[in-house]
Amino acid sequence: MADINLGPGAEEVPLAGMLAEMLMSNLEKPEKKRDFEKLKARVLIHAVDAEAKITMDFDRGKLTVYGGEVGKPDIAIATDSTTLLELANLKIKYGLPWYFDETGMAVVKKLLKGDLKIKGLFTKLGPLTRLTKIMSLS
Amino acid sequence: MALLTYGTEEWEKAYQELVKERQATQPKPYIMGTPEWVAQYEELVQNDAEYKEAAKDWEGSVVIKILAKPEIGLDSDLYMFMDLWHGDCRFIRIVPPEVGESGDYVISGEYERWKSVMAKELDTVKAMMQGKLKLKGDLPSIVRAVKAASRLVDLSASTEPRFPDELSPEEIEDLRKLLRDAKEKFGI
Repeated sequence: MADINLGPGAEEVPLAGMLAEMLMSNLEKPEKKRDFEKLKARVLIHAVDAEAKITMDFDRGKLTVYGGEVGKPDIAIATDSTTLLELANLKIKYGLPWYFDETGMAVVKKLLKGDLKIKGLFTKLGPLTRLTKIMSLS
Repeated sequence: MALLTYGTEEWEKAYQELVKERQATQPKPYIMGTPEWVAQYEELVQNDAEYKEAAKDWEGSVVIKILAKPEIGLDSDLYMFMDLWHGDCRFIRIVPPEVGESGDYVISGEYERWKSVMAKELDTVKAMMQGKLKLKGDLPSIVRAVKAASRLVDLSASTEPRFPDELSPEEIEDLRKLLRDAKEKFGI
């Protein structure tokens, strides 16, 4: 079982439990577990419409999920709650997130329109790719 | 009144008779949570091409659980069971609690939350992220079908039901009696 813990404040933000549950299930797949064990990054997730913020602190095989913004994030993702879950539907092809199907194009469109904001999109491309692979349900 | 057993032909026949009788006698828009409203919603889902496409990979039953609120006639929790399979909606029924709780995915919440969802004032996903609605079941499966879930909600809103808390005191008593009788006869 993956080493995922809920940190301070997580109990008050149901989004924290939801994402932890999703990750726990995803990390049963060995290829995702490998990425999880390499990922070191602090990720802020903000579901804007739900006014819910969580911080995920990935530390090479360990994850602590906090309620609210904790520390300085390497990657910050802000969007509405439905889009946030739709990110998990991005397919992984050839070891990379696939943006050329309907789901991927919709994500790109939201990025271009500013409905999805990702800090670290270019500067933290490696960790972001790993994060996407870990979060993807495919 | 003898209690019928859910899952038997007798139960189904009596339930259909109740729906038919009420659809013939009750004015539209129907009241949310009544058998006639559930039947109207079922027909919408069964005939919706957008839902069929979005849910083509979906497997499993989804239950909407509306928590009791006696002051508006809901003396017990109400379970709306949707039997969904690869884009088909086999049926939607109000079911006994033990059947509802055995659904693959049970989404529960206070009456006010469901009212907001069905009035399109509250997004289901957002409500889950805020803890206003709670999911029992495999979350990743629901996430994969997020578009289908949204469509189900849109369809429920499109029935534009009357809401129990907006009824007159007499209508609330009628609703209470309907649900009490249904509990005695159908176990729901």
